[in-house]
Amino acid sequence: MVMQKLYTDPLNKATLWLEHWTNVIATSKYNPFYYHGALPQFYLWVLFLSGLLLFAYYIPTIDNAYASERLINAWTSVDYITKTIPFGAVFRGLHRYAGDAMVLTIILHVLRVWFTDRYRQYRWVQWVSGVVLLLAVLFIGQTGYYLVWDERSLLLTRMTVSAFESLPVIGQPLKDWFINGKEITNLTLSNYLFIHIGLSFMLLFGLWVHYVRMARPVLTPPPVINYILVAITLAVVAMFPIQSGTMAQLTQTPTSFEIDWFFLWPYWMMTKMSMGFFWALMIGAVVLFTAVPWFVRTKPVETAEVVLTKCTGCSLCDKDCPYEAIDMVPAPAGSRFKLLATVKSYRCSGCGLCVGACAFDAIDLPNLLDSDVSNQIKAAAQS
Amino acid sequence: MVETKKKTVITLICERAVDLDREMDEKGILKDAPDVTVIKFPCSGMIQPLMIEAALKAGAEGVIVCGCQIGDCYYREGNKMIRERLLGERPPGLKKTVDRRRVVALWLSRLQTKRFISEAKEFVGHLQTLNSITEAK
Repeated sequence: MVMQKLYTDPLNKATLWLEHWTNVIATSKYNPFYYHGALPQFYLWVLFLSGLLLFAYYIPTIDNAYASERLINAWTSVDYITKTIPFGAVFRGLHRYAGDAMVLTIILHVLRVWFTDRYRQYRWVQWVSGVVLLLAVLFIGQTGYYLVWDERSLLLTRMTVSAFESLPVIGQPLKDWFINGKEITNLTLSNYLFIHIGLSFMLLFGLWVHYVRMARPVLTPPPVINYILVAITLAVVAMFPIQSGTMAQLTQTPTSFEIDWFFLWPYWMMTKMSMGFFWALMIGAVVLFTAVPWFVRTKPVETAEVVLTKCTGCSLCDKDCPYEAIDMVPAPAGSRFKLLATVKSYRCSGCGLCVGACAFDAIDLPNLLDSDVSNQIKAAAQS
Repeated sequence: MVETKKKTVITLICERAVDLDREMDEKGILKDAPDVTVIKFPCSGMIQPLMIEAALKAGAEGVIVCGCQIGDCYYREGNKMIRERLLGERPPGLKKTVDRRRVVALWLSRLQTKRFISEAKEFVGHLQTLNSITEAK
């Protein structure tokens, strides 16, 4: 029933149509829709590598602690990277635009799994961990904007501080954690750098949770797609070079800034509404978004069942299960075989791949038994 | 001499692959190609090579295996699995005694109904020529 409903859903129809024509143009092997999860993962590697170079030269301070003649701080170090280091501007641009591209490809990924009904039931862990990952990516991206320490960084910092301060109970400690003390100092920027890089590595842990229920997750698109993605990003870098604004001065109060719509839209929202309403809207949206897999009520998956008397413990089903839902356990005493397949029903999708992998008819879907299939085949062959 | 019965071509197909609902009757026989009977699976990955052997042994003229476009399995890897099994790259494979000329695999998205019908007709034609050659021998 759900399937009938799905295939009349206009969003699903549009997705199918789009994918079909991409197949016609690019062939299924190079269809980016079939690597929708690997695209943001690829951009993550681009960000790690370009970020490594920026990290080598970045100095997380707001003023000169060493009383040298020239001012050395975050802003001047970013300026040095951009203007003096060979290809520094390219790496900086790559880091900025790969971040935007990562958000864009994550949105593509979310929409595709949503519109093609690949987010519910046995996939809820992927959805919920995905929401957490998306929030982390947005926050990491925002900290990147604080790091350059131009006027925009200062304004964003002050807006974040007032946003945190408006929260009851946790507001004050959150603010103190965020700027690493009671007011903006050199320690603020070192904290930003730690959040930016530390949280990026936490993404890897989040991705582990995201992938743990999938056998052989698709982590890399084919090289050709990677080259094209990098080429597009580099073209954008060349067309719209990144420049810092004026250096931040704590004595001044900047009031407006250019907005990056991929990361900085929450700050745009803050200017349009009261802080209380802003937080209510954000938290409400996140809760609703996390709960999406439970909006559609369907009957539970009819999970695969092992025929105990037939299983030889060959573990082919265990190897082929795309959801890591089969475990090989020691066979009960008295068995002729060493191992026995067991199904973790909370992971099983009821797809029947294990049936296809079994040469002994030892695993069955309760709603379509091997014997039913054989009878159908015989009836069809002899009619 | 046994009287030659009218033989069928069996299609083992993923229910999410090419849309044949409007093309077949309640018995699963295609309107445009009455030699072809369709049997649906939740995923093409559920198709066992044994089923293909069973179909041919039971007297089917040929077998069409049909899954979604490679890369687009709702259950992630089903069509890749059955493709590898048919190519002998993943156990359990198709027995060597199975006549490869009578098995065809198609990977078609839900919108490629016309393509499926024309491929099925072509396969039926191919099987007829195959029969006339074997009979001539």
